[in-house]
Amino acid sequence: MDSTLFIVQLINGIQYGLVLFLIASGLTLVFGVMGILNLAHGSMYMVGAYLAWYFVQHTGSFALSAFISAVIALCIGVVVERTLIRQLYRRNHLDQVLLTIGMIFVFNALQSLLWGNDPLGVEVPEALAASIPLTGIIEYPVYRIFVAVFCIVVAAAMYYVINKTRLGMLIRAGESNREMVECLGVDISRLYTIVFAIGVMLAAVAGVVAAPISSIVPGMGEHILISCFVVVVIGGMGSIKGAFVGALLVGLVDTFASVLVPELSSMMIYVFMAFVLLLKPQGLFSS
Amino acid sequence: MLFKKRAERLFMWVFFPLALLMPMFLEQNEYYVNKLTTIMILSIFVMSLDYLVGKCGLITLGHAMFYGLGGYLFVILAPEYEAVNFWVYTFYICAISAAIALVIGLLVLRTSGIYMIMITLAFAQMTFYYFSGSIDYGGTDGVFVYVKPETSIFGLSLFDLDNPTHFYYLCLLSLFNTLLFFKVLVRSQFGRVVDAIQVNPGRTTALGYNIFVYKLMSYVVASALGAYAGYLFTLQYGFVNPSMLSWTTSGTALVMLILGGIGSIYGAILGTITYEGLHYTLEHWTEHWMLFMGGLIILMVMVFKKGIAGFLEDLLEKRDGK
Amino acid sequence: MNKKNKIVKKVLVGISVMGLGFGAMAADPNPIKVGVMLPFSGVYGGLGDATRNGLKMALQEHAGELYGRQIEFIEMDTEAQPSRAPEIANSLLNKERADFIVGPVHSGVAMGMIKVLKDKNTIMIIPNAGIDAATGPLCAPNIFRTSFSSWQPSYPMGKIALEQGFKKVITMSWNYGFGKESLAAFEESFESGGGEIVKKILVPFPKTEFQSYLSEIGTIQPDAVFVFFAGGGAVKFVKDYDAMGLKSKIPLLGAGFLTEGTLEAQGVSAEGIQTTLHYADPLDNPENQRFRRDYQTNFGKPSDLYAVQGYDTGLMIASAVKALKGDISDQGALIKALETTEVISPRGAFTFSKAHNPIQNIYLRRVENGENQVIKLAASALEDPARGCKM
Repeated sequence: MDSTLFIVQLINGIQYGLVLFLIASGLTLVFGVMGILNLAHGSMYMVGAYLAWYFVQHTGSFALSAFISAVIALCIGVVVERTLIRQLYRRNHLDQVLLTIGMIFVFNALQSLLWGNDPLGVEVPEALAASIPLTGIIEYPVYRIFVAVFCIVVAAAMYYVINKTRLGMLIRAGESNREMVECLGVDISRLYTIVFAIGVMLAAVAGVVAAPISSIVPGMGEHILISCFVVVVIGGMGSIKGAFVGALLVGLVDTFASVLVPELSSMMIYVFMAFVLLLKPQGLFSS
Repeated sequence: MLFKKRAERLFMWVFFPLALLMPMFLEQNEYYVNKLTTIMILSIFVMSLDYLVGKCGLITLGHAMFYGLGGYLFVILAPEYEAVNFWVYTFYICAISAAIALVIGLLVLRTSGIYMIMITLAFAQMTFYYFSGSIDYGGTDGVFVYVKPETSIFGLSLFDLDNPTHFYYLCLLSLFNTLLFFKVLVRSQFGRVVDAIQVNPGRTTALGYNIFVYKLMSYVVASALGAYAGYLFTLQYGFVNPSMLSWTTSGTALVMLILGGIGSIYGAILGTITYEGLHYTLEHWTEHWMLFMGGLIILMVMVFKKGIAGFLEDLLEKRDGK
Repeated sequence: MNKKNKIVKKVLVGISVMGLGFGAMAADPNPIKVGVMLPFSGVYGGLGDATRNGLKMALQEHAGELYGRQIEFIEMDTEAQPSRAPEIANSLLNKERADFIVGPVHSGVAMGMIKVLKDKNTIMIIPNAGIDAATGPLCAPNIFRTSFSSWQPSYPMGKIALEQGFKKVITMSWNYGFGKESLAAFEESFESGGGEIVKKILVPFPKTEFQSYLSEIGTIQPDAVFVFFAGGGAVKFVKDYDAMGLKSKIPLLGAGFLTEGTLEAQGVSAEGIQTTLHYADPLDNPENQRFRRDYQTNFGKPSDLYAVQGYDTGLMIASAVKALKGDISDQGALIKALETTEVISPRGAFTFSKAHNPIQNIYLRRVENGENQVIKLAASALEDPARGCKM
């Protein structure tokens, strides 16, 4: 591999990793604060992509669609938390697994009912449709750079909220000691609703942002879910910082494996994960 | 007594006699015999998972790896156009799977909880992608088993595997034996130590038991039985496909298990029947069966907190109390 | 069965003009049973749906020529899950005692079905799955295919690539049967004509993260790229290929599935892509024009390749039933009738090879204004070599 190709692949890997981070961050946030293992997280990603497609068809504006989709996702998050997830705080992880698998079925069925099973696509918004020449022949799409920047902004915002605001303080407190926070008079159930809704929104927004550079198909949620879990576990469940590092590592491993050992590349992120867990059984940044 | 709970005894007395007589009612219809056979096979698989998850507290999302290995090992080992002996290959497959489980267990059991779920998944996915990409074993299209094994022991051949009813009884027998095996295991000295590890690992270690060895042995045994189930599944239709290894196979087995009631062993059968029954009914009823399947699963989590077996036990004990 | 009625109703509303519907179906004591094994959920759900629509439309149109026999459909969702395929095929064979079993879309599922149905007392008709083996080593008197073998659509492209002056080509597909068989067929004709495959990229199935591969293609700079992708992967690939700026510099060739049922989602990125396939939507013949018009009125959406393949399956069944005057109890006679059928298809008329695969035209198409325009006939009456079939 010559140096230009190496740099291009580096960019590819980082960019892919950043998208993975965006999806995985919600998953790890919800697990870290609430101890809920949400297998339906990937479905939210799918819902986001389909919503984006639907609203772009009707409004024509990508930004507006993204906004509406995010709001709808927030609402879904609140409803799901209040009606279903709430019942499970005192139950074990396995019941959560079962419940959220049930939710996957329901979301998939609704997707099929509402939007059909044909692959769909969203056009890249016009303002970002250009490409930057990179090497002699390869260009890099501006939209992908936008996505990368967007993910970094979200990461920074999350960092700020968690470390510098009152909500973040509660989140951190809730993570380390739920009972204590409750004793201090904080309405923990409201905090949980907010955190879960934000988690759902993050997944959906990731779906929206990824929509123009992916194909919107049934089952896209389950496919991404497994990669997300790999990211989150490598980083350490519940750690946002871990998810960030884990996502970048997975993105890079996957990209370079695709070039160096193409036929085995799907295996490589799992090999990598097994390797990390053998060295650090709790992930890189376990809390 | 091996079966302490009322619900358990009731289940044993209802299920097995019924299962024994079933083919007589279904004589004209090969399909139902085959369907029930598949349920038996899945029950063995789910039961081995129950031992791991329910009795040993080792949650795995990679059990399908052994299910698939059971099938692929047969394809790899057996000559293509020659009938081999069923029992000999049962031994081979279980032994090799156990050996693989031993190695993987050494790595996997260092972790716990969600991390163990993920690392078991990782190994299963590696196997899945290996066979999906393999040229020799059919890749994603899968491979056929052309000749089914013969089942003679010392010249006596009890089962003809090409006969669906014979195969049904073989699977029923296997299920019965698996159930007894796990029951005896749970009641044995070994099982008590495993129980103790669940309750208090620290104290168990203090008593001089090597926790890791007990966990590892449990993992090996359950994996070998999972492989046996996969071997049976392969022989039923003579077809192996990587989808046997996919994480959804593990996931579905977990769903069956939780539905049936974790840690009850016999609940595995209840869960499998319930899931397969629901799937079958809904699928024949509406194209959007997933919607109702999902809804029902959600409902069952809410209603049956300890699975169907737990529900039955509560019900019967309440009656006892009155 | 609820599902059955619902769909029948939908069709009836659509085709009330054609009279004679399936309304009386339930009353017929001895209907012809057609088992349908297609994916109705998941990634392949759209394909399954279109195939079923086409199948029903054909049998509906010819309902009057079936010598009073009614058609009963038994539909099963395969979920594109190969390990469930034997069980479902078994239920159609032994429980429903279906006369015909139509399916599947997915090659892995086809393998599972063939295992159960080969040489049994039913007719299996494959309306999509291309796996070469189905009409190769695994061929059987009771197995037919109305779609294509993986070899067929890709083989003519090798010659065309050479004609267009491409000498060094990169081939790329998912690392699975259909993809590998398609690449092999292209390579066969391309290399025998003196072309050179500079690199063959096999992407793990169903991965759709293509950036790193595309960067590599950009570095190698071949004369052209030949790919096999379908469905969601095809959408993603075509969009990424364009976004990386490769499309205008390295022409993209493919087996027709690359731009089939995906054009709307691919948008302008697909413009100019050349593919070979046994059908194209705007194909200029009266059957196709009528088919597309009727399909649109019946189902309220445009037809596609998969609908055509389903339709032809229906035509084939109808014509055999007609030839046997409604009595299909003799399997030997039924197979004979099916073998000798000439299907007057929207794709152009075709007949069956000894291995029961269509002998059909393959067209070169180019995407123009969001449609696969026919450029020319790439191969006329192309027959699959049916390697390994002893029939």
